[in-house]
Amino acid sequence: MENKQPNRSEVEIIKDKSQYLRGTLVQSLDNGITGALYPDDTQLIKFHGAYQQTDRDLDSERKTQKLEPLYSLMIRIRVPGGVATSKQWLRMDDLADRYGSGTLKLTTRQAFQLHGVSKRNLKSAIKGFNEVLLDSIAGCGDVNRNVMCSVNPQESRVHAAVQKVSEDLSRAFTPQTTAYAEIWLGGKPLHKDEPDEEPIYGKTYLPRKFKIALAVPPQNDTDIYANDIGLVAVEKNGELQGFNVFAGGGLGMTFGMPDTFPRLADPLGYVATSEILNICEAIITTQRDHGDRENRKFSRLKYTIERLGVEAFKAEVEKRAGLDFQDLHAFHFENTGDRYGWSVGYNGLYHLGLFIESGRVADANGYLLRTALREVAQVHNGEFRLTGNQNLVLSNIAPEKKAEIENILEQYGVLDKTFKQTALRQHSLACVALNTCTLAFAEAERYLPTLLDHVEVLLRKYGLETEPINIRMTGCPNGCARPYLAEIGLIGRGPGRYNLYLGAAHNGERLNKLYQEQLDETGILNTLDALFADFSKKRLVDEHFGDFVIRNGYVKATEQGRYFHD
Amino acid sequence: MSSLPTVPGVDANLLQKLRNEHSIEQQLWLSGYLYGLATSKQEVAASETTQLPGQKVLILFGSHTGNSKKVAHTAAKHLHEAGLHTTVADVAEYAVKNLKSETHLLVVVSTQGEGEPPASAEDFYQWLLGPRAPKFENLQFSVCALGDKSYVQFCQTGKDIDNRLEALGAKRLFDRVDCDAEYETEAESWINQVAAVLQAQHPKTTSAYVKAPETSTVSTSKYDRKHPFEAMVWEKIQLNGRGSEKETWHLEFSLEGSGLEYAPGDSLGVFAQNDTALVEEVLKSARLNGSEKVDWDGKSLQLFDLLEQKFELSVLTRDLLVKYQERHPKSSVNGLIEDPTALKNYLWGNDVADFFADFPANLEPQQLTELLRPLPPRLYSIASSPRASEREVHLTVAAVRYEHKGRKRRGVASTYLADRLEKGGSVPVFVEHNDFFKLPANDATDIIMVGPGTGVAPFRAFVAERAERGASGKNWLFFGNPHFSTDFLYQTEWLQHLKNGALDRLDVAFSRDQEHKIYVQDRLKERSKPIFERLENGAYFYVCGDKNRMAADVQKALLGIVATESGRGEAYAADYLKTLKKQRRFLEDVY
Ligand code: SRM
Ligand SMILES: Cc1cc2nc3c(=O)[nH]c(=O)nc-3n(C[C@H](O)[C@H](O)[C@H](O)COP(=O)(O)OP(=O)(O)OC[C@H]3O[C@@H](n4cnc5c(N)ncnc54)[C@H](O)[C@@H]3O)c2cc1C
Ligand SMILES: Cc1cc2nc3c(=O)[nH]c(=O)nc-3n(C[C@H](O)[C@H](O)[C@H](O)COP(=O)(O)O)c2cc1C
Ligand code: SF4
Repeated sequence: MENKQPNRSEVEIIKDKSQYLRGTLVQSLDNGITGALYPDDTQLIKFHGAYQQTDRDLDSERKTQKLEPLYSLMIRIRVPGGVATSKQWLRMDDLADRYGSGTLKLTTRQAFQLHGVSKRNLKSAIKGFNEVLLDSIAGCGDVNRNVMCSVNPQESRVHAAVQKVSEDLSRAFTPQTTAYAEIWLGGKPLHKDEPDEEPIYGKTYLPRKFKIALAVPPQNDTDIYANDIGLVAVEKNGELQGFNVFAGGGLGMTFGMPDTFPRLADPLGYVATSEILNICEAIITTQRDHGDRENRKFSRLKYTIERLGVEAFKAEVEKRAGLDFQDLHAFHFENTGDRYGWSVGYNGLYHLGLFIESGRVADANGYLLRTALREVAQVHNGEFRLTGNQNLVLSNIAPEKKAEIENILEQYGVLDKTFKQTALRQHSLACVALNTCTLAFAEAERYLPTLLDHVEVLLRKYGLETEPINIRMTGCPNGCARPYLAEIGLIGRGPGRYNLYLGAAHNGERLNKLYQEQLDETGILNTLDALFADFSKKRLVDEHFGDFVIRNGYVKATEQGRYFHD
Repeated sequence: MSSLPTVPGVDANLLQKLRNEHSIEQQLWLSGYLYGLATSKQEVAASETTQLPGQKVLILFGSHTGNSKKVAHTAAKHLHEAGLHTTVADVAEYAVKNLKSETHLLVVVSTQGEGEPPASAEDFYQWLLGPRAPKFENLQFSVCALGDKSYVQFCQTGKDIDNRLEALGAKRLFDRVDCDAEYETEAESWINQVAAVLQAQHPKTTSAYVKAPETSTVSTSKYDRKHPFEAMVWEKIQLNGRGSEKETWHLEFSLEGSGLEYAPGDSLGVFAQNDTALVEEVLKSARLNGSEKVDWDGKSLQLFDLLEQKFELSVLTRDLLVKYQERHPKSSVNGLIEDPTALKNYLWGNDVADFFADFPANLEPQQLTELLRPLPPRLYSIASSPRASEREVHLTVAAVRYEHKGRKRRGVASTYLADRLEKGGSVPVFVEHNDFFKLPANDATDIIMVGPGTGVAPFRAFVAERAERGASGKNWLFFGNPHFSTDFLYQTEWLQHLKNGALDRLDVAFSRDQEHKIYVQDRLKERSKPIFERLENGAYFYVCGDKNRMAADVQKALLGIVATESGRGEAYAADYLKTLKKQRRFLEDVY
C-alpha cells in the first residue's frame, strides 16, 4: 500500500529515491563551502541519528557578518532502556569535548545527545561511539526510536527481564540498511547484485516516527501512554509473564490546528512475553501500511487509530500477528517520577538516583557536574542508567565503592543538587528548545531553572516545598518534555510567552488542559500564586495538584485526546 | 615644426597624410608603435634608426603596480617637450639584444618582494646581471629607483641595475635617485635634472615619444595622493564570527562628490593617525613631553600633534637607523645596520619607541622630527566593483595586533580603521591605480583567483564586476583562512554567486580545521588537471594576499601543476610561467 498514495509528501519521495537512506549524504559531507547538507539529505540524516541545526543565538549576527548560520549537527545516540556502561559514559564525555559543544544531554527518552557537531566531524564522532558499541541509527527518523524502559533495577529480577525485552525490541526494529555502516563506519559500499532490504519497514520506512516504552508498575517513569506502543509488564511470583499492550499515544500538536492534539495510548490487551516481538511488529506494519503518507501532521499512529477506530485497528493487528489479545491484567501506576538517593537492590548492590537538571551534563556556572560524573565513571564499574526524566541512576555499585563515589559527588555538590531541592524542581522537565532546536518558539531548558527560583518562593510561602508536583516546560507544542502530562505544563508560544496547562494525572494517566494563554513571567507567577494559595487551603489529604485543579473547576478533565481542545 | 624633416627613402606624402589624419596623441603613439615594432622585430630596421646617432633616448620601465610606468611616461613627455627624441617601453616587451645599439638609456624600476625586481622586469634583470650581458661602451644612462623605505632592501633592483650598467662600461649621465613610497617629488626632480643634462648634450631635434594605450581608468578627479578625499564610512562590519582569532573588517566608504573613479584591481590609499598611546610611548623614550613647538612645513606646531598625525611611529625603517648613526657615529647601531639578518629581525616588531629605548638620544624636538619618516598612507585592495556599488568603495582590512616586549602593539592604519574610525566618521583616501592587476579585457576569458585571507578582497570586486557585466568567462576562486565556521570571509556572497553562476567554482582551505594544515596551494594541487586545462584555454591566474609565504607556495604549486599536467617537466613549467607573466596572465598583488 505504501507507494500508492498519489499525493505523497515530499519526505516520502525523498525516502523512496534515497536507496535505503543514502541519498547524496556523501556529497553533502564532502561539500566544504557550507556547513549545511543538501536539503533532501537533512531529512535522510535523521534516520542516521542526526539533525541539522543552527546556533539560533547567532543567526542574525552572522547574517550581518556575511556568514551563513552556524550549522551543526545534533546526534542522538540510542541507549535501549537507558543502560550505559562507565566506558560508554567516558567516551561520550570525551566526544562532547572533542567534537561537540562540551556538554552531554540526557534526553526524555533515555538517550544521549551531542550538540554542535560540525559536518566535517560527524564521521569521527559516530566512529567514536561506535567503538564503544553505541549507535545513532534510528535515533531519529520515521522508524522505531530508542526503546524506553523503567529504571528501577533495585526492584526485582523482573526489571532485568523487562530491560532485556526492550533491548530485543530495539534490535528487532533497527533498520537493516547497510547505509549507516557504509557512510559512517567505512563499511563496504553496496554491491549492485546484493541490494539492501528492509524486511519490516520497506524502502519508504514508516510514515512517521515511532516510539515504544516499557514500564514496570507501579512506576510509570517512561510515560508509556505518550508512546506509539506502551508495554506494561505483568509479573507473577517474581517472574515476567507478559505485557498489557497500549497503542496510539503521542503528544505533538500544532497551535491553531485543532485537528492535531496530544493523545494517550489505548489499551489493546494482554500478550505473553514470547509474543511481544510478534505483536509489536504487527502494530508497526499496520501503521506502515495504513498511516497517512500525504500529510505528516497526521501520520503518527495516533491519527491512524483515530481514523480506523480502536477495534478495527486491533483486529488488523491480531490478524497480522495471528493471535488474539487477552484481557488486560490489573495494574496500578503511582507516579511518573524518578527515585532519588541510595537504595539496595535484590542482589546486594547499591543504586544512586541523581537529579540532573534538564538532563544537561555540563561544567557551568561553578557547578562541575560533568567533571564529577567523569571522575565517578573512572572508578564505577556498574552502570550509568539514563532515566526518562532526564536523570541518572548509578547502578550496581559494589558496597566497597559506595563511599568513594559518594565522596566525589559530595565534593562537587552533586548530592546537594539532588537532595537540597524542592520536590517541584525534582519533578521538573524541560526540553532543549533554544538555542539549538529549530522548532522552538521560546526558551525552555535555559529558562525553567530561573523560573523555578521564583516559583520556589511561592512554594515556601504556602509550605509546599515537599509537594511532588510535575512541572514541565517546552519551547513549542511538539511536547518533547511531555508537558501535556504535567500537572503544570508550560508550552512556549513566542519569546517569553507561555501557555499554561493544568490538570494532568500525577501518574501519567490523564492529559492536562489549557488554563491560560500567552503568559509572561509575571503572569505565570501571579497565576501560580493564586493556585497554590487555594491548593494549600482546600486540598484533600494526599490529593495531587493535578486532581485538585479539576475538582475545583479550574479546568475540565481531558478524558480523551480528541477532546483536548474542548 | 612646420615642415616635415626629410629622411632618405621615406614617402613624404605618406607622412603628411599620417600627420593630417591623426591627432598629436595618435601621432606620438604611432611613432612609438613603429619604433617599437622596428626595434623589437627587425634588426635591419633597427640599424636604420641608428642612422640618427645620439638623438634618441630610450626609457625602460619595470613596474608592478604602475608607479614606475607613470614616472617613465612623465619623463618621456617632459623630454619630448624639451625636444628630445624619446621612446618609452615596458622592459617586459623590450628586445634586449637591441640595447647594445642604444646611446641614452633611462631606467625607472621599482623593487618588489624582498628586494626583488617586479615580475615584468625579471627577464631583463636576469639577463643584465648574468654573464651574457654585453659591454656597453657607448651607453649613457641614469636610473630612477622606486621603493619604500620600510623595506630593508630599499630600492634594491634599481641599485643592482645601476651598478651593473656601470660595471658593463656604461656611463652614468646622472646619479641614481632612490624614491620612497611618496615617490612623486623625488622622481620629478630626477626627471628635471636628467632632462637638463640631456638637453645640454643635444641640441633640439625632432622628437617623439610613445604613449602606450591607456589601460586604466583615467581619473578626472581633483583628488589624489597629494590631495586626498575625506571619505565617509557608512558601513563597518566585523567579518569574523565569534571565537575567531582573526579580526577582519569590512568597510564601505562613500565616494559621493569626489569624482574618484576606480576599477577592480585598484587599491585605496588611506591616511591614518597614530594611536595617542604610542605617541606618548615615543615621547617617553625620547624624553620629550610633547608640548614643544616644532617647525613643520612652514608652520609652528606642537610636537605631540605632529607625531600623532605626520610621522611614522609604529614601523621602524632602516633610514631612521642610518640617520641616527650619522648623528651618533659611536653608537652600536652601526653593527645592526651592517648585519642584514639582525637588522631585519630588529625592524620586525620594534617601533620608534623601542628604538629610542634601545638607543637613547638627547634630541631636540626638531631633531626628533628630522629623524622620523613622514607617515605614508597604507594601501588596501578595493573589494568592490564600481558597477555593482556605485560611488562606493569597500575594503577588507585585517587588524594588525601583536604583543612585543610586554606592550600591546597595533598597526597604525588597520587599527585606526578597526578601533578609532566610527560609522559616520571620515578618513582621507585616494585611489591608487594598478594598471596591471586587472580583469582580462575579454569577458569570455576564464580567470582563476587565489586569495586567502584579506587577499580575497580584490576578487570580491572582480566577481561582482563580472557578474554586473554578464561576462561569460568562468570565475574560479580559491580561498583559505584558519577556520571554516568563523573565518570564511564573505561566505554568503560567494554562495549566492555560485548559485547565480557568477562564480563557477569555489575551493576552500581551512588550515586549522583538521589535524594537518591545509592551505590554498594544497587545494590547487588537488585541482591540478582542470587548472591546467583552463590555463591552456587562456585563463588568467591571479594571486593576492600574503607575500611572505603564500605567494611563493602558490607559485611553486602552479609550477608543479604545469610540470605534471603538461608532462614536460620543470624547465618547461618555468618557461610556461615566465610566458604567463610576460603576457600578464599570471598576476600578483601581494603584500
Ligand atoms: C531531546 C528531546 C527533548 C529533551 O529535552 O530531552 C527532543 C528534542 C527534539 N525533538 Fe522531540 N525530543 C525528545 C522527546 C520527545 C517526546 C517525548 C517522548 O518521546 O517521550 C515527544 C512527545 C511524544 C511524541 O512523540 O509525540 C517529542 C515530540 C517531538 C515532535 C512532535 C511529534 C509529533 O508527532 O507531533 C517533534 C517534531 C516533529 O517530529 O515534527 C520533535 C522534534 C524534536 C527535535 C528533534 C526538533 C526538530 O525536529 O528539529 C528536538 C531537538 C532539539 C535539540 O536541539 O536537541 N519532538 N519529542 C527528546 C529526545 C528523545 C530521544 O532521545 O529520542
Ligand atoms: C597593494 C597592497 C594591497 C593591500 N591590501 C590589503 C588589504 O586588502 N587588506 C589588508 O588588510 N591589508 C592590505 N595591505 C596591507 C596594508 O597596506 C597594511 O600593510 C596593513 O594593514 C598593516 O598596516 P598597519 O598600518 O595597520 O600596520 P603598521 O603600523 O604598518 O605595522 C606593521 C608592522 O608591525 C609589525 N608586525 C606586524 N605583525 C607583527 C607580529 N605578529 N609580530 C611582530 N611584529 C609585527 C611589523 O614590523 C610590521 O611591519 C595591502 C598592501 C599593499 C601594498
Ligand atoms: C609586496 C611589495 C613588496 C615590496 N618590496 C619592496 C622592497 O623590497 N624594497 C623596496 O624598496 N620597495 C618595496 N616595495 C615598494 C614598491 O617598490 C613601491 O610601492 C613602488 O612605488 C612600486 O612601484 P611600481 O608600481 O612601479 O611597481 C614593495 C611593495 C610591495 C607591494
Ligand atoms: S518541544 Fe519543541 S522546542 Fe522543545 S525540543 Fe521539542 S521541538 Fe524543540
